Amino acid sequence: MKGLWRHFLLTLELNIRSRQAIVYGYLVPVIFLVAFGSVFRAQTPALLAQMGQLLTITILGGACFGMPTGLVAERERGIWRRYRLLPMPTGLLVGSILAARVVIVASAALLQVVLAHSLYGTPFPAHPAQAIAGVVLVTASFLGMGLVIAACANDVPAVQALGQCIFLPMIMIGGVGIPLAALPAWAQRFSGFMPGRYAVDLLQRGYDGTPGDGRFSAAALAVMGAAAALCGARLFRWEPGRRLRAGSWPLLLGALVSWLCVGTYASRSGHLDALGSGDSGYMDITEEQMAAISYENLPGDSEFVSRLSKPLGKAGSMSGLENIRGAIAEWRPGQVADPGQGARNLLCLAGVADVSEDPHEGEIARMVFDDLRQRDGDRQLERILAWVILYPDQGRCVTTVPELGLRHQFREDIVRDRAVLYAKKFLGRLRGSIRD
Amino acid sequence: MSYGSLVALRDVDLEVSPGEVFGLLGANGAGKTTALECVLGLRKPDFGKIEVNGMNVAEKLGSVMEIVGAQIQGASLQDRITPRRALGLFASFYRHASAVMPLAQRFGLEEKLDAPFDTLSTGQRQRLFLALALVNDPRLVVLDEPTAGLDPRARRDLHDLIRSMRSQGRTVLMSTHDLNEAASLCDRVGIIDSGRLLAVGTPASIISSFCADSAVGPAGPSLEEAFLRLTGRPWSPGTETES
Repeated sequence: MKGLWRHFLLTLELNIRSRQAIVYGYLVPVIFLVAFGSVFRAQTPALLAQMGQLLTITILGGACFGMPTGLVAERERGIWRRYRLLPMPTGLLVGSILAARVVIVASAALLQVVLAHSLYGTPFPAHPAQAIAGVVLVTASFLGMGLVIAACANDVPAVQALGQCIFLPMIMIGGVGIPLAALPAWAQRFSGFMPGRYAVDLLQRGYDGTPGDGRFSAAALAVMGAAAALCGARLFRWEPGRRLRAGSWPLLLGALVSWLCVGTYASRSGHLDALGSGDSGYMDITEEQMAAISYENLPGDSEFVSRLSKPLGKAGSMSGLENIRGAIAEWRPGQVADPGQGARNLLCLAGVADVSEDPHEGEIARMVFDDLRQRDGDRQLERILAWVILYPDQGRCVTTVPELGLRHQFREDIVRDRAVLYAKKFLGRLRGSIRD
Repeated sequence: MSYGSLVALRDVDLEVSPGEVFGLLGANGAGKTTALECVLGLRKPDFGKIEVNGMNVAEKLGSVMEIVGAQIQGASLQDRITPRRALGLFASFYRHASAVMPLAQRFGLEEKLDAPFDTLSTGQRQRLFLALALVNDPRLVVLDEPTAGLDPRARRDLHDLIRSMRSQGRTVLMSTHDLNEAASLCDRVGIIDSGRLLAVGTPASIISSFCADSAVGPAGPSLEEAFLRLTGRPWSPGTETES
């Protein structure tokens, strides 16, 4: 163990002293951060909705370029040949390299988070423990793929070429570089067959508190990473100058089949609809659909269900309400990149307050309405509300809001029903069918 | 032992005694390196058994490598690692390891202890690899072409080192294509050609066995002459491809 520990520390030290490792491991992610920052800095808060993508790019670079580049360079120079003479299974030394890489990637991710906060005021992760666990899982999964690259590449340029084969598709059409919502439908579906999409989803959940537990993304990454790690371990070559055996292709295919299986399962089980693409379908809502929505039989604003207070005015009519208004404005699930999902989350918040019988349930609903009108113009908000009404089961649903003291978890179908009631009350007001 | 259809070693039956310096002689491509790599567990023979100190290499490689030190061809270290770090690192993997400073002094590396590996000369690197081979105070030392690329003085130093290993009771198994080196250093030698072990014995016994009736030059019969008799072609170590 002493030897392994020293080897682990040495790997870290040599990485820090390597100019190439610093450029690829730390500088390139910072360039991506600045590039994203220059595009998304106008959002409030800036870059919050892109941190999952940025962290995924950082991890992808470290695990699928940095690690295999180092490993192949050492193998081809004969360093592993010397290590093989040690009285220890060489696999443990590879484990030490991978562990060191987890630390390196995690430090690059931390740098990313701190720089985003310093440069653009991006908040720190809403759920630090979940974010750390996400970084570790995504790194482990991508390191498995890095092992496959290291096993297949005969030299360092080949690592770069193979790495790009994974990196570029994930960046362009895998939801890692270009946001899923901006991709055409076929690309959104295709991205479900690549690990990048699940990595972004998992990391984003840890960062902005997107509702849901991310278990499917975690499981998808675990399956893809484990298949790759198994394949990489079986194909690993210690000796320089050796080539991949002809019989290795079935193993490589096995690793790729895991991507296919995860993508197919996600597609058939509806997980691809639930991840990322969210409620962007509101854009297809027509005027006729909105006009057909009925407001009859809606509970009154002062009744037991779906209470809604009178307009509050600027400062609010009761003491302490300003704090709630601020908390709603800063509530992370309300700020997700997709306006449709963000609005649905806020409607769910009002629904949770209503089901909780919170003393301020009516005021909270009113503040949600005010907040929605501020962030989405009335025209877009009408479509979003109509979408929530017409497709109540789409998107994700918040069932607890501990940030506002609403800690009890309610049944999803009840919260969705209340969200629809509020959506109708808000839409009716926007379209002049209901008077305040 | 074969690589695809190429048989690199065939019917090799050899025993090296404790405290002995044994040299494997042969041209490039003869199978010397492959034989040593089999002993070190780097390659698996197609059949047969290799034992070190009574332990089967294929079954107890970890235990075998605790008592074996090796310097092999084609091995290297990271550019930025220093001899001090390398010796410390490799020592930390063994149950019984030598201290870094005495080893460095013994191999004339004390002034280069903190120099990055990529700044060391060929001779200094070779000395570092020899020091690494002895870092676990091994009973068996395996050296593959240890004098390759060394200048005459470094060669002499290495010869002295191998003699000192013998005097310490260590077993040395080395390969070389320098017949004079083998004749002066080795207690016994084995001549290997095209993967076959053609002859094993002391240099003198091999010369007397195969050159007894030859007309010889002023220096007397030599291993070179014996090699010619055994293989049917003159000694030419560098003309074939590497094994």
